[in-house]
Order: sequence, then C-alpha cells, then structure tokens
Amino acid sequence: MTALVTAQLHERRRSLLSWGLPIGAWSAFVVAIYPSVEDALSKAVASYPESLKQAFGIAELTSVEQYLNAEMLSLIVPLAVGYLAVRSVASGLSGAAESGRLDVLLSAPVSRRRLVASGFLATAVELAAVLVVSVLVTALGGLLAGAGLSFGRALAGYANVWPLALLFAGFGIVATGWSLRTSVVTGSVAGVLVAMYVADLVGRLDPSLDWIRYGSVFRYYGKAIEDGIDPASFIGVTAVAIAFAALGALLFERRDISG
Amino acid sequence: MAAIETDGLTKFYGAERGIEDIAIAVEPGEVFGFLGPNGAGKTTTIRTLLDLLHPSGGSARIFGLDSHRDSVAIRARLGNLPGDFGYGKRSSAREALALLSRLRGVGDLGRAEELARRFRADLERPLGQLSRGNRQKVGLILALFHRPELLILDEPTSGLDPLMQEEFLALVREESERGCAVFLSSHELDEVERVCDRVGIIREGRLIAVERIDDLLSKTAERRRVEVEFAEPADLDQVRAIPGVVRAEFAHPTLEEVFLTYYQGEEGKEG
Repeated sequence: MTALVTAQLHERRRSLLSWGLPIGAWSAFVVAIYPSVEDALSKAVASYPESLKQAFGIAELTSVEQYLNAEMLSLIVPLAVGYLAVRSVASGLSGAAESGRLDVLLSAPVSRRRLVASGFLATAVELAAVLVVSVLVTALGGLLAGAGLSFGRALAGYANVWPLALLFAGFGIVATGWSLRTSVVTGSVAGVLVAMYVADLVGRLDPSLDWIRYGSVFRYYGKAIEDGIDPASFIGVTAVAIAFAALGALLFERRDISG
Repeated sequence: MAAIETDGLTKFYGAERGIEDIAIAVEPGEVFGFLGPNGAGKTTTIRTLLDLLHPSGGSARIFGLDSHRDSVAIRARLGNLPGDFGYGKRSSAREALALLSRLRGVGDLGRAEELARRFRADLERPLGQLSRGNRQKVGLILALFHRPELLILDEPTSGLDPLMQEEFLALVREESERGCAVFLSSHELDEVERVCDRVGIIREGRLIAVERIDDLLSKTAERRRVEVEFAEPADLDQVRAIPGVVRAEFAHPTLEEVFLTYYQGEEGKEG
C-alpha cells in the first residue's frame, strides 16, 4: 500500500504548484486588498437584500475573514478542490486504464481493493497538501499587506474544505465502478458537485425549498473561518466519503477491465 | 501440475460472444502459441486468465489455483506483457520498475538491468518520448525482471525490429529451458513456428485446434515440398530433370534474412 501511495504522490507533486499556489495566490490577493475596500464593502453589503446575504453567507463583511469566506471559501475553493479530488481519483483509476498502466499494475500481486484504497489515500494526502499550501500563501499575503488575518481561523476555513472534497473523491471512485473513461467520471461527478452547490443555494434563497439542502454536502459545510470547524460535520462528511470509496472499491472489484 | 488449465472458459459481452468453451492446458517449460486473427478472442482469453475480465462460464486454473479467487497469489508468480503496452507518458521505465519491484518484493534489479542491456532499452526517458518498439522493450522487461514461472505475452513482438525479435525469441527459449511456461498470443505465424512447442488456434471465439507444431505442419504440407541448398550457384535444369519434380525455382532470401546479414556480429562489437 505504501509503495502505491508514495508512487502516486510522487506523480502528483505538481498539484502543489498547479493548484495550491494559484488558489493561495488568489486568496492572498483577496486578503491583501481587503484594507483598501473595507469601508466601501460594508456599505455595499448593507444595501444587499437579506435573502441574498443569507444565500451567500455574507450577513456582514466587517472582517478580513468574512471577506475571505465570501470571496473564496464559500464557492471557489470548495468547487476547485472538489474538482481536483475527482480528477485525482479518476487519473489513478480510469486514467490508468486508458493509458494501459492499470493492466501493468494488476499484473502484479495487488488486489483491486488495495489499488482503490491507495488512490483514495493518495488523493486525501494530496488535497491536504494543496490546502496547506493555499493557506500558507494566503497567510503570507495577509501578513505582507498587514490585513490582520488570523492564521488559526484561516487554517480552519481551508481545512474545512478537505472532507467536502474527499466526498467527491469517494463519488469519483463509485463512478469508476460504472465507467473507466476519465471524461465520463470527471464530467459526471463534477456535475454532481455543481448540482449540490446549486441545490444548497436554492434552498437558502427560498426557505420553502430548504429540504433540498439535505441532499447537498454544502449544507454541512458551514463557515469554519468564522465559526470554527464543526467536528460533527467534519467527521460525518469524512465518514460518508470513506463509505462511498468503499462502495466504489466493491464496484470496481466486480467490474470487467477491458483493454 | 499444469501452469494453465482452462475448462469451458467462456466470456460474453452482453449478448456478444468473446470466447466460448475454451479448454487448454499449458505445462511448465512449454511454449504455447495462441493463434488467431484480430478479434478472434486471443486478448479476451488472456484478460480472463489474468482476472481482468470475469468469465461468464467455465473455469481457469493457474498453478492449480482459481484464476479469480486466488488472483493475487497467481500474479505474484507470473509476468504479463499486455497487447498494447502503456504506462503513462510521464513516467520512465526506471520509475515503473521501482514501483513494480516494491509490489513484487524484488530487491535486486540485476535481471532488469541485464534485460535492458540485452534489448538496448532506455530506462531513463519518459515513456511518452519512446517509440512503440522501445516502449514494447520496457514492457518485456517489466514482464520478465522478477523471473516469473509463467509468462503471458500478448503480441509480444509488435513494434520490435527484426534484431530485437530475434533476441526476444532467444529469450523465450531460455525462459522455457529454465522451466517457465510461456503463453504467447500472436498472429505472426513465423515466430510461433520458430519458438512454440504447441499451438492453439482460435476462430470467432472458439478453439478449433490444439496441436504440436510438427504435427500441424506435417498435416498441411503433405510432404510434397523440399527445400534444398547448394554450396554453389545451381543449374535449375538439372534439378528439374530429377524424376517426379514438377517445379523447381530459386528461392530469394527474405528481406529479413538480408537485413540480419548486415547486422551479424554487430552485437558482439557493441557489447
């Protein structure tokens, strides 16, 4: 297992630069401009309709953390890192099937379950590393701009993305039990990711449709950068992600791997 | 105990037949050729043996173990070269070897280095930068570096130049001599004839013949053609004058024979 995880992490080391750095740089820019837009923002937000503020989780923008949450952590970071999660598990399984690597790996004494587990584990580590790089770059930007960003709160905000993204990795593994075409796996699960976000948004905009939010992981996402991590949601979503990965492993074990 | 033994092995893709009722046995040290045109079911048979495809019926046993239930234990003892070998574009053969050697628990990569020298394979460049033939060499090394007891090779010489094909055939003989069973799928009749002990012929998913090479050839040739080589340029008229001869003509060397004469002795110089 260690050999497979290490090999996959070695191959995905570029993610830190191609995902962690841009997300961090964008977040750092958002944090850095906050002091100069703070007053204008407060006035603007005060004029927004209440339902809109509720929907986007921006009851008020009176701190850099609230601004970072509204600009990055409520939409861009979870969608981007969620997509990265799907892409990573897909490249480790369906991508490997398309390149021929899966045939080579499954000629070695490795069970399909171990292969899936290693892909999921490598993705979990990769996501954590990308989020750590993002928050470090963000904090550096805040420090240089004197924005007064709390590192602990920023860390909580970015760490809270991890279980959510991991859930989409679990969905991705389930999808590989159904198709070994990378475009089908990433496309279908990315569709679920966007659909869940929209369902949560609709439920928040229209209280009569609040029940829709129960089908979306974003209901359990919250605003960790402001309120801290909710352990029940964090552990619960992580457990569901692992359950979906296990289900995916069973489906993957039962399917044919055509050449 | 047979290295491979299948009984009524069948695989359907929905309503479409892949293979049906395949019954073969391959003994240790035997080189078994699996012949058939594209789409006949060669690859389906191999993928079913490797548990990449789950059979619709029948069974396959490898080293006496069930090909599905004991798949991991079986794969520890075999080497496989897939039909269209690939391992991703960015990785080098060295990286692939590093991972596979850890998965197989092989600490000594001396055999891999020896094979790389023999096939003149580049282990360092990313596989995406290698030609098809050079990637195929890497595939052969990955299939052989751990000295397996069974080799499953799907179209192993595709993309290899004639020199490397010769080297490959020599290697198959050596593997066979040390007791390794070889299951070789091909539609290159010449290489099968030169290296295999027995062949199975598959047509439209069904095994239509399993014969020893000699028996198969003697059946079809009917012992009417004789090839004779003279020490000096021959007079065809003298040959035609022999009673019973209906036709005599010069046999031109094949392009492969001419090609090989240019390279004879080169290996010694480079080695």
